[in-house]
Amino acid sequence: MNRALRAALVAGAITAVGCFVWSSWPPNSQYAPVEISFAVVGLSFMVAGMAAWQRWPASRLGLLFTIIGYLYLVPYILVNLANPAAWTIGNLSEGISGAALAHLGLAWPTGRLRSRFECGVVVANYVQNIAFNTAATMVWNPAFSGCNASCPANVLLIGNGSRSAWNTLGTIAALVGLVITGIVLTLIVRHWRSARGWSRRAMIPLLWIAPAVGAENILTGNLFHFPALVTYALLPLLLLAGPVLFVISTVRARTAGGALGTAIVDLEPGASPDRLRDALARALGDSTLQLAFRQPGGAGHLDTSGQAVDADRPDSGRAVAPIAGSGGAVLVYDEGLELEPQLVKLTAAAASMALEHTRLQAEVQAQLEQVRASRARIVEAGDAERRRLERDLHDGAQQRLVTLSLALGMARGRAAEADPELGALIESASKEAREALTELRELARGIHPAVLTETGLTGAIQALVERSPVATTITAVPDGRYPAAIEATAYFVVSEALANVAKHARADGAQVMIRKFPGRLLVEVSDDGAGGARSEGGSGLRGLADRVASVGGALRVDSPAGGGTRLEADIPCP
Amino acid sequence: MQSSAAILIVDDHDGFRAFARVMLEADGFTVAEAATGAEATEAARIVRPGLVLLDIQLPDFDGFEVARRLAGQAGGPVIVLTSTREASDYGARITSSPAAGFLPKDQLSGVALRRFLAGSPGEGRT
Repeated sequence: MNRALRAALVAGAITAVGCFVWSSWPPNSQYAPVEISFAVVGLSFMVAGMAAWQRWPASRLGLLFTIIGYLYLVPYILVNLANPAAWTIGNLSEGISGAALAHLGLAWPTGRLRSRFECGVVVANYVQNIAFNTAATMVWNPAFSGCNASCPANVLLIGNGSRSAWNTLGTIAALVGLVITGIVLTLIVRHWRSARGWSRRAMIPLLWIAPAVGAENILTGNLFHFPALVTYALLPLLLLAGPVLFVISTVRARTAGGALGTAIVDLEPGASPDRLRDALARALGDSTLQLAFRQPGGAGHLDTSGQAVDADRPDSGRAVAPIAGSGGAVLVYDEGLELEPQLVKLTAAAASMALEHTRLQAEVQAQLEQVRASRARIVEAGDAERRRLERDLHDGAQQRLVTLSLALGMARGRAAEADPELGALIESASKEAREALTELRELARGIHPAVLTETGLTGAIQALVERSPVATTITAVPDGRYPAAIEATAYFVVSEALANVAKHARADGAQVMIRKFPGRLLVEVSDDGAGGARSEGGSGLRGLADRVASVGGALRVDSPAGGGTRLEADIPCP
Repeated sequence: MQSSAAILIVDDHDGFRAFARVMLEADGFTVAEAATGAEATEAARIVRPGLVLLDIQLPDFDGFEVARRLAGQAGGPVIVLTSTREASDYGARITSSPAAGFLPKDQLSGVALRRFLAGSPGEGRT
């Protein structure tokens, strides 16, 4: 709503109320409560008009509300002016507000009538109202209503008027009004029943306006006679409810933008599209909101419940908003929301951010998964290479050295008898060959322990413990065989831990415990030494932690100063 | 029918087999050779050796499997497993096999094999 319009509406409302107060001053004690209550009703419609203009600039609801506001106030002002012409027009126009109210109810919430038929009903209602009022005024002598000298003259009066004609016209007008009101209310009920999602919510204030339409007709008509107190106390209250409710719902809708932010913030990272839809639907106030994704290969769109959605030609009563940067995802919402384009735009932007967030997160997750897998592959390839090297050494150099060593031994035996000097020489060569063989064996074992390949953890850990210079006991080692990468990791944990115990711990004893639990292998090595080891310190422990992580496990080091060291590797294991 | 002192050398290394044959023949043994596990079971059936010197690493199936098959034959020979690796590299697999024991390759000698034949492998036994 622009400034000029707002200023005009405020000025108009103030002027109307001012005129009303001025024209009815000093207050007539008999009619004052009625007049004041209808003035309040008129003012409430004017305020609702401003709210509607502000909230739904594209709707004509603001205009209708404002007109109705004036229609409640102006007749009273005219009647109070004590001028015959004004007085006559005031009396004539008193009932038009009822027809306008029916118009408002039928045009809710866009301010536009939905069909030619409904247009006809509204026009007929205005026409019958004005026609019967005019006709009745022409035969109405103010004296019929007990108004003699105190009232200005009825300028439309023909002759002295006719009480019977006036009464008959009143009865017919009430009957016709009743029929038209019935049609109007039926149509409003049909609008309500066909409305879904946002439109249904937007019609809530109408639940109070519709009864007011009926009540105005019945309470002020000529068919039923109610005590004045009922008519003039109940009717203003009923009339007030609609505009007041509308203003309240408008204030609540203004916080919808904030609700949108809250909905997105509350959404946990990587929430499913289903949950995103729910959050957006709540923020938008449209329970029918669909979040639909474009299917690959031009297969159209599917919403989060798997239902096919035509994003180019939405069903009637539905509208589509694209979500930027989402690969063709769309929001499909209740068409009524076209009245709140800003909210729809905000919601689409929020959806775009949330989807982008989810997409980035999935991307990072996928990359992390790739890195994890490639790390595991690199470690496995390294292990395989070490196994191959060990085997090559075993099949090649070791084999030849063994044969050489045996040959030298035999040669020495034969040579010693003939030439003791040659025998001693060959003996020394044989010794060299044996030492070379021993060194080569150690080297091969360091590259990859054959015992691990041959016997698994049981034999390999036993061999490690036997070679450990610190007295070490094995508390538990499972018998079974596990994937090579896991056996190798467990083996290197124990091997590195025992090497550290020997080098740094100044321990008297150590313990090795390997236990198999469902889905995991727990490797523990503890000693009674000096403690104070840190996993981020030595490159040995750091490398070991990396090695354990390569198979998805975790290494923990517990090493209080003076309290021994406990190394624990938790390795996922089928 | 061979003498009970016949020895079957099972090893895929030609150099080692050739050398072991020279060494053991010099020590008075009759020697037969096989290069694979399949050849070994076949040769054992024909030759009926008193002792089989069985390398653990073979191209088809390993020495443990060959030992199991040979032990199943009637009047089975004494089986001695051998390798360039140490006995500890095979852990309990050696003791749980039907072999009489393990002899590291570099300690091969007629004397060591006679001990196995006499039923007391001595130092070579693990």
